[in-house]
Amino acid sequence: MTAYLVRRVLGMFVLLFLLSVTVFFLFNLLPGDPARLTCGKACTPVIIEQNRHRLGLDEPVLTQYVKFVSGIFVGRTFAPNSPAPIVCNAPCLGYSFNRHEQVMTMIARAAPVTFWLAIGAFILWIFAGLSLGIFAALHRGRWPDRLVMGISLIGYSLPSFFIGLVLIFFVIIKWQMLPFPAYVSPFENPVKFLQTMILPWIVLATLNAAFYMRLTRNQVLEVFGDDYVRTARAKGLPERVVVVKHALRAGLTPIVTAAGLDLAYLLGGAIISENIFSLPGLGALAVGSVTNSDLPLITGITLLTASIIIVANLVVDLLYAVIDPRVRIT
Amino acid sequence: MLRTDVRLLRALTLGIAVALTLAACGQGNTSQSASQSGGAQQSTAPTTGGTIYILTQAEQFDQVDPQRAYTGEDLAFFGGTIYRSLVAYKFSADPIEGTSIVPDLATDLGTPADGAKTWSFTLRDGVTFQDGSPITCEDIKYGTSRTFATDVINQGPTYAIAYLDIPTLDDGSSAYKGPYTKVGQELFDKAVTCDGKTITFHLNKAVPDFNFTTTLGFSPVPAAADTGETYGVAKPPVSSGPYMVESYQTGNGGKMVLVRNPNWSQASDPYRHAYPDKWEVDFGIDPKVLDQRIMQSSGVDETAIQYGNIQPENLSIVFKDQETPNDQFAGRAVSGFDPYSRYYWINVNKVTNVKIRQAMAVALDRAAIRLNIGGAFAGDFADGVIKPNIGQDYASTGFWTDMLGKKIPDAGDPEYAKQLITESGEPAPKLTFDYPDTPTNAKTVAIIVQSYAKAGMTVTPNPIEPGQYYSVVFDPAKGHEFGTGGWGADWPNASTVIPPLFTQKGGWDLSQLDDAALNAKVEAAQVELDRATQAGLWQALNKEAMQNVWVIPTFFGLSQTIAGTKVAPTYRWPAYGSWPYGDMYVKP
Repeated sequence: MTAYLVRRVLGMFVLLFLLSVTVFFLFNLLPGDPARLTCGKACTPVIIEQNRHRLGLDEPVLTQYVKFVSGIFVGRTFAPNSPAPIVCNAPCLGYSFNRHEQVMTMIARAAPVTFWLAIGAFILWIFAGLSLGIFAALHRGRWPDRLVMGISLIGYSLPSFFIGLVLIFFVIIKWQMLPFPAYVSPFENPVKFLQTMILPWIVLATLNAAFYMRLTRNQVLEVFGDDYVRTARAKGLPERVVVVKHALRAGLTPIVTAAGLDLAYLLGGAIISENIFSLPGLGALAVGSVTNSDLPLITGITLLTASIIIVANLVVDLLYAVIDPRVRIT
Repeated sequence: MLRTDVRLLRALTLGIAVALTLAACGQGNTSQSASQSGGAQQSTAPTTGGTIYILTQAEQFDQVDPQRAYTGEDLAFFGGTIYRSLVAYKFSADPIEGTSIVPDLATDLGTPADGAKTWSFTLRDGVTFQDGSPITCEDIKYGTSRTFATDVINQGPTYAIAYLDIPTLDDGSSAYKGPYTKVGQELFDKAVTCDGKTITFHLNKAVPDFNFTTTLGFSPVPAAADTGETYGVAKPPVSSGPYMVESYQTGNGGKMVLVRNPNWSQASDPYRHAYPDKWEVDFGIDPKVLDQRIMQSSGVDETAIQYGNIQPENLSIVFKDQETPNDQFAGRAVSGFDPYSRYYWINVNKVTNVKIRQAMAVALDRAAIRLNIGGAFAGDFADGVIKPNIGQDYASTGFWTDMLGKKIPDAGDPEYAKQLITESGEPAPKLTFDYPDTPTNAKTVAIIVQSYAKAGMTVTPNPIEPGQYYSVVFDPAKGHEFGTGGWGADWPNASTVIPPLFTQKGGWDLSQLDDAALNAKVEAAQVELDRATQAGLWQALNKEAMQNVWVIPTFFGLSQTIAGTKVAPTYRWPAYGSWPYGDMYVKP
């Protein structure tokens, strides 16, 4: 188990290194000139060159990469020879000349928003998905099963932007039941936090809950047909114990895999929900960085979200052993 | 089963979308009826108090720094609230009056001397920054000097560098490098002098409209508060206007909140009215949500205004035609010229034959292109690069009526284009069209390809990631034969249109022109002291540009925007193609 863990963690760092190389060089190969982009309307070749120097783009790409990586560990100074150098403290993922702010500062500000959005929606959809999925499985072929599957079909089919717009229009604009979303920390103003997050949670949870209803139902039904469940029933165990302790536990493995990756994906930013509800999370930050061709920000966010996925993958793999005793990690 | 479900869902989706739209209309109607019963939208007397909310899709202001702000709406907003300048544009919906200037920090419109090579302005009494310290000549001089630090203060207007009498180095840059390094400081101190409350600018040539120039990048900044690159962002900028920045957070859900500046006095600022108590700019609002909120105009949205344009899908709901709002939105939806002329630039080094360039213009199906980008709402057909809202410098060039030898239909004339290609003595060209890769542009390009094919010309589309577009096409090695472009005048004088577009020094020469004779004519027009004569020179140059087809003019852009039911006055301010922020108030 320990050897496996060490191997996986080392592999993760290798992957992160390769990822940083790929992302950095890929973005540097894109067409266009960031120095021209930061030059504005009244631009001359001299100003473009000054900008190139200020951004550190007049150095070889390899040097830029080394500075980028070292900045993560020891920080760095942009435009050190400029009259107004910009100090970027470690861990420095870069400096956005578009927003005049450190990339890490922006990510650190956006990450909690996405975290709360993802966690709240995750709890909702897992609760709704698992409970309704099990409920449908237990009533297989009867009307409760058909009702749950019908609901999941609708939830699965409606795009999140559509649900979001409908909710905003009726709940906020027309009926004025909630104020327009304005994110505050739950520790600062819990009521306003809930008022802001409830609709985005519902939007995100609707789509995912629908998927988990179907997944859970199918998994539980599959396990119900296994020999050991039949044995458990034959032993005279109560149905509750058969379902919860035997069927559900075994059936949970693929659900945990999907849930772990879905949560990790969501932690990288829920682009549509964040934009519709004006939430300042990582998804919105990512969209803004792409729209503005803000390469340092794009690089930083890409690295961060990819890292989250890689770490989540590892965690999911390790969780297999905890949930399903049939899985043995050596 | 699946097919039935899909049909059901489609019907449900369509039904809800229609219901949303109808519900918006219905509610708007109700609100307007109530509003109309109290009188016409702008007939109420201005009142003090309240908060005006500005809703925008943008995640931040392009720039907050007074030496870097350079988009019309930003200049109008900051100019009406936190930044004062020597002179400012009059608040008026009238195209002439609304582009005329009035004194602001200065006591008058400035005094030219030495054939307009020297300009002096005297500051008013009692003008202060938000901390109560007086605004001095030195503060304006310092603010002006920041523009020269092009390695720190970039993306803003650079007229100070272009016009002040400071030598340039061999590489074309100014010998003065700004207040941070102070390299060449003595040169700047000679070009800009202070004598008590009088600031004098010594220029390198006659600039008859230099007082207009001072609306761009000549605002005061106290040297002690200057943080260079991060000025106005890391901490609030120092206000000289009736409001000051209480907080500024960029990004989705971000806000800028302006509150009253306790040290501003109406006596020292007869120009701004400062009616509302507070301004709140809400960033990162989804454009569809934004439109619906202001169309509905309920709750705080009654006093909200849109910072940007109405989404195309809502235009026919809000407007009867490109100028007239529907009844329920009358008085709060406005349509007017935006600052921009749109055109297709042609690289004259790659398409050298003027007959070929003429054929490119003649073959173009402008009617189909306009339909694709929004029809008449998108703009009028352009006949040059000087837009009618610039005033006396505009005169019809006759580009589409007779300049090309005959009247060219809006849908193009492929047969005549073929004739022009034959007259050129060259084979039908193979061209590549550069454009920002957006869905609308992709459809436009398909129209261009099709209409040029009818005339025997081959066009290869070259989509470019929108954020990178200009950085690619300005590179002579990467730009192709032609592509999309647009330009807006910086003040109502074509001196801010013709030189940028058709001279290398101008900075926006997408056609890659570098013609000594043309440069001389442009220079002569720039220094012409008689405004009427100067207008004639610009008109002639605009015509020359069209005769040579350095660009194909497409549209004089229109834009449409909307305000809540309790904001007034609601008109398009011709100076910036924006709301008249300094003139706005919350209706009781």
